[in-house]
Amino acid sequence: MSSLYTYLFIAALLFSLGIFGVFQRRSLIGMLIAIELMLNAASINFMAFNKFLAPDPIVGQIYTLFIMGIAAAEAAIALSIIVALFRRLRSINIERAQELRG
Amino acid sequence: MKLWMLFIPELYCLLMGVVFFGLAMVARPNPRRDYFVALLLASIGVVVALASVKLEGSLFFEAYRVDLFSQVFKVMLAMGFFLVVCLCTELNGIEERHHPEFYLFLTTCTLAMMMLVSSVELLTIYVALELSSYSLYILVPLRRGYGIDVEAGIKYLMVGATSSAVMLFGLSFLFGVTHTTYVVDIIHVLPNVIGTPAAILGLLLTLCGFFFKLAVFPFHFWAPDVYQGAANQVTAYIASASKVAAVAIIIRMVSLVGGNSQYLVDVLVTLSIASMTLGNLVAIVQKDMKRLLAYSSISHAGYVLIGILSMSPTGYASAIFYALAYLVMNLCCFLVVVKVAQDGSDLKIAQLAGLHRRSPILAMALMLAVFGLAGIPPTIGFTGKFLVFTAAMEKGYITLVIIAMINATISLYYYIMVVKAAYLLEPDVAQPQLAVSVPTKVLTASLVAVMVVFGVFPTYLLEVARAAARMLL
Repeated sequence: MSSLYTYLFIAALLFSLGIFGVFQRRSLIGMLIAIELMLNAASINFMAFNKFLAPDPIVGQIYTLFIMGIAAAEAAIALSIIVALFRRLRSINIERAQELRG
Repeated sequence: MKLWMLFIPELYCLLMGVVFFGLAMVARPNPRRDYFVALLLASIGVVVALASVKLEGSLFFEAYRVDLFSQVFKVMLAMGFFLVVCLCTELNGIEERHHPEFYLFLTTCTLAMMMLVSSVELLTIYVALELSSYSLYILVPLRRGYGIDVEAGIKYLMVGATSSAVMLFGLSFLFGVTHTTYVVDIIHVLPNVIGTPAAILGLLLTLCGFFFKLAVFPFHFWAPDVYQGAANQVTAYIASASKVAAVAIIIRMVSLVGGNSQYLVDVLVTLSIASMTLGNLVAIVQKDMKRLLAYSSISHAGYVLIGILSMSPTGYASAIFYALAYLVMNLCCFLVVVKVAQDGSDLKIAQLAGLHRRSPILAMALMLAVFGLAGIPPTIGFTGKFLVFTAAMEKGYITLVIIAMINATISLYYYIMVVKAAYLLEPDVAQPQLAVSVPTKVLTASLVAVMVVFGVFPTYLLEVARAAARMLL
């Protein structure tokens, strides 16, 4: 059982790092990487729960595959919007994008 | 009956998507053609959704359930899509060559949300939610020329991606605690273990992803920027159809605990009060009509949560009714926004001055819709609020209802300001008459009729909502 907690601990650590990164990073690419960390934390959780607890030994792995695929799609959309923003502002710093306020 | 017939509304959406994809391939842009194709297909879509209301069954290894609950929401989504397409007669906010793509992503988003309300398996829910979000992420920066669209798009995407990652982390805990990913099985296991930290944490983190969609308090800050930055029609869609789907899935997830978690209720009460209060107070100072509607949508998310956190069939039914009322009222508001700002620009509240002279019917529609949002009888908004509050009173949440009442009173202030701008203020420079076409007049009149008639005689809709809510338990 203790090894399950090791995995959960690592996942929680990755997740916290991701949350911290999203709030602390000013570069959009950095934020995107932080979000990927959070997704990977969820993947580790799924795999660990699956290995140690779940009766059906394949569900967690399928989840992880789906998460990887969807994260790739997300990165593609995010990067395309980041490129569009870069063309306009010549910067990918989120602080520069402050026209909308109120 | 063949099994695939259960899937007809979604298949039809997919077909629409293929048609728009084909139109996007054609080299020469032709906005009129695109509009009429979209209008025709969307109106058939409503008929298809209505025709499949009575279907029941399950598909895809039990991961997908078609019942009255899901079908009612599919009808609402199809109607929302149709009404948004109706607003696209002058789609000036988006470049002409992008019109087919605009319709394409609206269709995929509708498809995804139809799948979302039917899915009863965690992975299916996740995939459907992401598909609908991704379509919207692309729609927001499609706007032409104002320089704020990309910024709004990136903010939307970053908040959305973060909240969906949080949701996924929560789903992993739900999976770990219950050892299953099927909602039907979770309903049996979860109420017994909801006292454990892992279960409650999992459920709360899961709800984060849906709270983002509904713009509930800690995940609300994208709403004003996105509402302002996106093209008016896209904003109308985000504000109406996407909120309806979010309500559906939150009801589905909250009903998982079977009504015996005081802790979850406490959290939902806090979020509901925070959303209402924050939305209403910040809305008071807004100058931009779409930003005002954004903050008003945050406060309405709070009202809907009151119905949901009652965790009773009455509460769920009232939330469903409220979602429908909100769809109609909000689309009516956006109809006016789109028609008054015909060049596709942002509408300031001051620009509404003299609207009663420029176009009496639009001014009247705006007044009724805004009164509905404020909850003044005899509109459908009053009935919705009444039902939601009654459901909470049955459970004895008197303090919550009183706070909500106070909030409704605060909200009256800024709603009245809008009506005042439209009826009492005169513009500095005389504005020309607004040309309102006959179909638009018919549309406006029917929206107004729906708001008033179902406000006075809500029995039929309420019966439908109750029957739909019974499907959950």
